[in-house]
Amino acid sequence: MSAAVTRSRAFAALWLVAVCLLLGHNGYLWLVKRIAPDTDIMALLPVQERDPILQQSFTQMVDAAQQRVIVLAGAAEWDDARRAADAYSAVLAKRPDLFTATAAGEQVQAEWLSLFQRHRLTLLTAGQEGQLRQEGTPFWLQAALAKLYAPFGGPKLGAWQDDPFGLFAGWAQERAQETPVRPRDGHLSVSNGQRQYVLLPLTLKVPALSMTAQETVLPLLQEAGAAARKTAPDVELIQAGVILHAAHASAQASGEASTIGIGSLAGIILLMWLAFRSFKPIALILLSIGIGCLGALSVCWLLFGQVHLMTLVFGASLIGVAQDYGIYFLCNRLSADERLDSHALLKRLLPGLSLTLLAAVIGYGGLALTPFPGLRQMAVFSALGLVFAWLTVICWFPLLIGGRTLKSGRLVSVYGAALQRWPLLRQGTATYALALATMLAIGVGIGQLGANDDIRLLQNPPKHLIDDQIKLSKLLDAPTPVQFFLVRGDSPEAVLQREEALKRRLDPLIAAGRISGYQAMSNWVPSARTQQERRTLIEAKLLQDGGPLAGLAEQAGEDTAWIDAVRANLRAAGKPLTLDAFLAAPASEPWRHLWIGSSHGEYASIVALRGLQNATVPALRALPGALQGVQWVDKVEEISSVLGRYRQNMAWVVLGAYAVVFVLMLPRYGRRTWRVLAPTALASLITLALLGYTGQNLQLFHVLALMLLLGVGVDYGIFMQEHPDRRDSTPWLAVGMSAANTILSFGLLGLSHTPALQAFGLTMLLGTLLVWLIVPCFGSTTLKANDVPADAFGNR
Amino acid sequence: MKKLMKTMLLAAVAGLAGVAGAGQAAVPVAKIQAMLAKPKVMCGRFDQSKQLAGMKKPLAANGRFCVVQDKGVLWRTLQPFPNTLRLTKDEIVHYQGDRVAMRLDAKSEPTVRMINRVLFSLLAGDLAQLETLFDVDGTVGADRWDVTLKAKEPALAKAIGTIRLDGGKYVDNIVISEASGDRTSIVFSSIQNGEAALQPDEAKLF
Repeated sequence: MSAAVTRSRAFAALWLVAVCLLLGHNGYLWLVKRIAPDTDIMALLPVQERDPILQQSFTQMVDAAQQRVIVLAGAAEWDDARRAADAYSAVLAKRPDLFTATAAGEQVQAEWLSLFQRHRLTLLTAGQEGQLRQEGTPFWLQAALAKLYAPFGGPKLGAWQDDPFGLFAGWAQERAQETPVRPRDGHLSVSNGQRQYVLLPLTLKVPALSMTAQETVLPLLQEAGAAARKTAPDVELIQAGVILHAAHASAQASGEASTIGIGSLAGIILLMWLAFRSFKPIALILLSIGIGCLGALSVCWLLFGQVHLMTLVFGASLIGVAQDYGIYFLCNRLSADERLDSHALLKRLLPGLSLTLLAAVIGYGGLALTPFPGLRQMAVFSALGLVFAWLTVICWFPLLIGGRTLKSGRLVSVYGAALQRWPLLRQGTATYALALATMLAIGVGIGQLGANDDIRLLQNPPKHLIDDQIKLSKLLDAPTPVQFFLVRGDSPEAVLQREEALKRRLDPLIAAGRISGYQAMSNWVPSARTQQERRTLIEAKLLQDGGPLAGLAEQAGEDTAWIDAVRANLRAAGKPLTLDAFLAAPASEPWRHLWIGSSHGEYASIVALRGLQNATVPALRALPGALQGVQWVDKVEEISSVLGRYRQNMAWVVLGAYAVVFVLMLPRYGRRTWRVLAPTALASLITLALLGYTGQNLQLFHVLALMLLLGVGVDYGIFMQEHPDRRDSTPWLAVGMSAANTILSFGLLGLSHTPALQAFGLTMLLGTLLVWLIVPCFGSTTLKANDVPADAFGNR
Repeated sequence: MKKLMKTMLLAAVAGLAGVAGAGQAAVPVAKIQAMLAKPKVMCGRFDQSKQLAGMKKPLAANGRFCVVQDKGVLWRTLQPFPNTLRLTKDEIVHYQGDRVAMRLDAKSEPTVRMINRVLFSLLAGDLAQLETLFDVDGTVGADRWDVTLKAKEPALAKAIGTIRLDGGKYVDNIVISEASGDRTSIVFSSIQNGEAALQPDEAKLF
């Protein structure tokens, strides 16, 4: 006896050392390294499916957008809009450490055309190229003459003789029309016919997703908005930016965390008090859960080098299972004889406790077998967390809880008595009829389940943010950063040529009004082949002997020397424009994100689409088919498909876990094994049916909850089967305490406004409640002495 | 005019059109404003002479123009090649005969409104409007005035060069001198007022 106690003291001390190490490592991670969970949902994708260039294209499109805040101040009168915008900017100017107001220098703007001007003979719009092919000398002569005699001459694009046919002016105008934003009185402006807007593009200097940014930037934006409204009361302010969504999400999360968290904590404490008349149990259970979570985090970080946010979300659900070990021990302590030593009690409980741990670990182990790194990490995290919580119970609880620590409350005896009157399933026609009816009802319910893998499950921004976003994209006609074409090739020239092939396929869609335009590198720098073709075309149609230049000379009374001079002047601007020259020039600044450059021996670029409607997406998706090196990229769809595949994979994992757990239980429970699993399986099916009847769509988070429900439910089944005697209410108490806690902690998630958490919470609420209610029905009636060792010292 | 238009458009696009607030007038703009007749409808003849860089002889053209308040401007070149330019609030249309050779609307090119406002102001002599974009310098006599306009924004000034206007009740002469060396002078004459000034085919275009 004393040897056993000494040994267990040694284990407890060892465990204390281990826990101190864990605490130290966690302190280092959070306080020194200041780790942040990985939030990139693509990181959850199987590695072989991930494509570095694709990844980089996302990063370039999305990260560029992430730090941006765009504000539009609009009013019917331009002056009002301008005053409001100035008031807004004045407030922001107080904190130059937070924002950079994006204002291109005057010099840059003045010079932006000069690069193109030097290569103007090779820059044509597609329409001009078509005209050059179709029309002959008379057409071009007439066009040049019209320009020649037009009332005012324009020096900006050179003198008349620098662009006699107006081709370069037309090209530059087409480029300008890639955005409706225009400079006006020192501001950037857009208008929609009813209102004039001042555009204020801001770039955050602090990370948009950091808490500090949200805490300082948001109040400042509000103050600026108030100042703008004070200056011009009718001003319409439209604001958009990732930070606004992030701030809303964290405000919602912390709001929910406090209501749900406080609610469930108060409930659990009250419950524990009523059951054990002491706060010690709740403290102990929280201790075991806490060590479980911290330990899992530590080891996961060591194994993976990072922890994904989804892992933490799923890992939080550990609590539901991790508490069971502590509760089971405490309930048995409560009902056992006071004289029974806690170490001896533990020894007797160890087989059941070990089985529950093994079942859960193996259940999570199934997750680790899937090819999804995200699921693997969740599995490792969960399994580790359970092991740590379990070890805490085994090593410390017997020392901390003596025979007289716990006293039973009145609630415990009332509740315990209820077990005697609980219906028990026996073989008979009534039971079979009930089973058949239940199965039918379940079948019909599940048949009504749809599926939903929409990205909006993960976040649902409030309506005013979405409205602003829609208004903004309408006004600015900006391309969406999440849907675009990715073009690849083994050289920059190949990429530009493929872009041009793609653009030829997109032009009919623009003509049909299904998209309003595209942004592409080749709009600015056509491929060398195209530039050469156009150069040849101009030579043959405009500069040839006896061509339009001769007619012009005749009309203006000039000689061949003049023709030669004009021709030489034009040819001097006929050298092709290169991509490198463009990328090095300030003029390319707004477009550089479209060029991905080389990666792994491959070059790639983005062709972004303006005015894209959902109805056009299928046509765009089908477009690359015939085109080499062109890929339609749709991050929204991508995330949905990841969610969908995780949902399907997880469903198989759940089924597999049932099988594994069944095999595992077989040696100990024999023919009774099905009784351990049946309540959980039945509860899961009924939950699914109820979801079907209430018109819910099945999503990943329902399935994740079912996985957790298996972990929780099997524990209840094991507790009940460890004490098959109905007169012993100990397991029933453990099940009740555990289920009530699970419902309080997870069921309340059903109140969340985030659809994913709501689905998870609702499933846990229904499922846990059902297992709790069903589990006594599957108790066996026979009593075998060797199955109920706890009774030997039982207090009744 | 098409060229100036494009010039201004591009200059504006390039970020050069901006000036905050109206500057201090170097000439009593109000006095000139008072001198101008500012009829609701005004039509007349123009004679244009262009001296282009690299060309020996000036190029001559003439035609009719109409300025209609709240509607816009009609610019009809008759000699040597007939073509018509119509500028309304939201649109610029260029006709070659009856054929529309070019159409530009404010929806696809937002600077169209600004360009049309400036050109209208130029022909109507509305210096108060022009002052927001140009530095106005000049002299005012008893019944004559002349001014020189230079864009406030340096880059726009470089693009357009200087514009000289002179007149009395109406704008009589416009001379535009560009940095590239191209120079255009326009003389207005036979100006008529009132609805009757519009010829039937001109009225049809508005």
